[in-house]
Amino acid sequence: MAAPLRHAPSAAPLAALLDALPAGSVWQASRIADHADTCHPSGFAALDRELPGGGWPAGALIELLLDQPGVGELSLLLPLLGGAPAERWITLVSPPLLPYAPALADAGVALSRLLLVRPPQARDAVWAARQAAASGSCAAVLAWLHMPDNTALRRLQLAAEAGATPLFLFRPLAAARQSSPAALRLCLTPAAGQLRVDILKRRGPPLARPLLLPIR
Amino acid sequence: MLWLAILLPDLPLQVFTRGLRDVPAIAITADKPGAPLIAASASAQAAGIRPGQHATSASALLPELRLHARMPRREAEALNEIASWAGRFTPRVSLSSPDAVLLEIASCLRLFGSAHDITTQVASGLAALGFHARIGLAPTPLAARWFARCGHPAGEDWLQAIDQLPLSVLEDEAACDADTRALLAGLGLHSLGEARDLPAAGLARRGAQAVRHCLARARGEMPDPRPWFEAADTFSHGLELPAPTHHSEALLFAARRLLASLEGWLQARHAAIDHCQLILEHAHRPHSRLELVLGQPCRDTAGLLAILREQLARLVLEADVGALRLIADRPLAAIARTGVLFDDVGTLRAQAVLLLDRLRARLGQSSVHLLASQPDHRPESAWRQGDASCAGSPAQYTCSAHAPPLAREHKGLHVRPLWLLPEPRPIERADYVLLSEAERIECGWWDDHPVHRDYYLANNTGQALCWIFQALDPPGRWFLHGYFA
Repeated sequence: MAAPLRHAPSAAPLAALLDALPAGSVWQASRIADHADTCHPSGFAALDRELPGGGWPAGALIELLLDQPGVGELSLLLPLLGGAPAERWITLVSPPLLPYAPALADAGVALSRLLLVRPPQARDAVWAARQAAASGSCAAVLAWLHMPDNTALRRLQLAAEAGATPLFLFRPLAAARQSSPAALRLCLTPAAGQLRVDILKRRGPPLARPLLLPIR
Repeated sequence: MLWLAILLPDLPLQVFTRGLRDVPAIAITADKPGAPLIAASASAQAAGIRPGQHATSASALLPELRLHARMPRREAEALNEIASWAGRFTPRVSLSSPDAVLLEIASCLRLFGSAHDITTQVASGLAALGFHARIGLAPTPLAARWFARCGHPAGEDWLQAIDQLPLSVLEDEAACDADTRALLAGLGLHSLGEARDLPAAGLARRGAQAVRHCLARARGEMPDPRPWFEAADTFSHGLELPAPTHHSEALLFAARRLLASLEGWLQARHAAIDHCQLILEHAHRPHSRLELVLGQPCRDTAGLLAILREQLARLVLEADVGALRLIADRPLAAIARTGVLFDDVGTLRAQAVLLLDRLRARLGQSSVHLLASQPDHRPESAWRQGDASCAGSPAQYTCSAHAPPLAREHKGLHVRPLWLLPEPRPIERADYVLLSEAERIECGWWDDHPVHRDYYLANNTGQALCWIFQALDPPGRWFLHGYFA
């Protein structure tokens, strides 16, 4: 039988006590979640430090919010795309502009693995992104969808979980005000030759200060 | 020798019901007009309808009863289909008209484990084809067939079991005509054992020696050669839908039967297919055709089924479908792959191809492509859309995965944007701050799209890094051509 506590333990023994417990048995609000799932390093050390698990989560919907193409969103993903294994696709669903093949090849992305899907209808784009993510045969899925509703977002998240594939969804900054089932939401804005990343949502405490990533 | 007999009771009825999930009240009449019913489904029998009744009295009992004339052509085709499918178990298959297929399985017992294992696999396989079958095992083909028909009676060994079989099994034998059977019944006999005890001379005098021959063949005392069945080189089998339908779920359910059959046929031939055709037959219209194309030759039909589901979902049918037919006329030699414990490269590759197939099946060929770079100095000509239709898997493209020499030469010398605008967009020069020296691109005089431009890196007010150019031809306007995303 445990003796009743006479006095509240001070902070230091408590921390020691918690550290002695098996990992994962007590969750502290001040820590970011320790991902049991695999993660892919983003290639940016500053970003990896702040992402739960130390990289892009493997089976999750990741929202990247930006106002216009060209702020640096592709450069942010280039390390991931460049390291994609040979048997898997990198699927781009309805990109707003042409992904420029010579530049991608220069950056180390194997063009042969790049699958460009341009569905004629918006409904089909959601379907294609789900199929690609759920098939488990893609290293990453990048999707630009026109105003996906909450049901579609939820389905995309489930598909990403099912296929253990990171699914990057590009949305306008205005979407930041809406709630979303995405596991990770990042705001991307250009900042004098660097990319400013605000983490809107992650599994863990919110991050107050923005990250500045050298992408160029 | 060990024979496995697959006997299909009520085959005339089964050819109509095998493609249905829920079997309605349905009865089959002989093809002669005014003939009695020869088979009725379970729900019809529950309403009191029995084989032997006349069609009119059956309709009076159950007005919603569906009556169909027997289709002997379909029955023969169904037997053929089962025999082709059974080639996956043993190369020695023999047809036994009108309603059985015989498999000689002694040589493949070791592969499958035991006769019991084969029986289980055959039964579950037949269920996937949509057939309900009875299975019998015996050392001779005739005895196997009889055991399938009547069940294996308890006995010390199979010879004693044969003796206990009723005389009705002789109905299937063409040699034992109705007169012979009437003679035996008139003698007050019930079982084959009693018929075997009759004196041979007496039977011969009464023209009934066929009974003794039959029994001798069944007991293995006389040779009973059977012609081996040879499966056709092309797969073309059909399936009747008694109630024409346009529901994609019902069609998919029926097509699954044919795909299961195709899978058995492919396994028997050690073949694979990369495309096949599903024909949806309408009663008074030209048939609809669905082409199922796979990215690479494949032996199991899970991929075909997924593609078929997408195609059926978007197919607009002009009329109800009364029958299905699956045609695979170009089997390819398949390379067997050894199974491994973990996900290997081959599985991943197969998944990747399957994804490509699914996307193409629903979105069309023109919506899915690959990218490739081309050795050309003009930015708009330095890339092209690869044809995804010839793409097998991502890894097949590794040879072209590297940038062509020209582009690699330029690496580091000239930066290129990750996003290219489909068409250069006219801009106001004042909105942009130039960040680099000019890179002149002046070529293409040999074809219809000559280019004379000075390209610059530039910053716009939105702070995105852009790639802009000034056309050198008068009036020297400025254009935005890409973003360094």
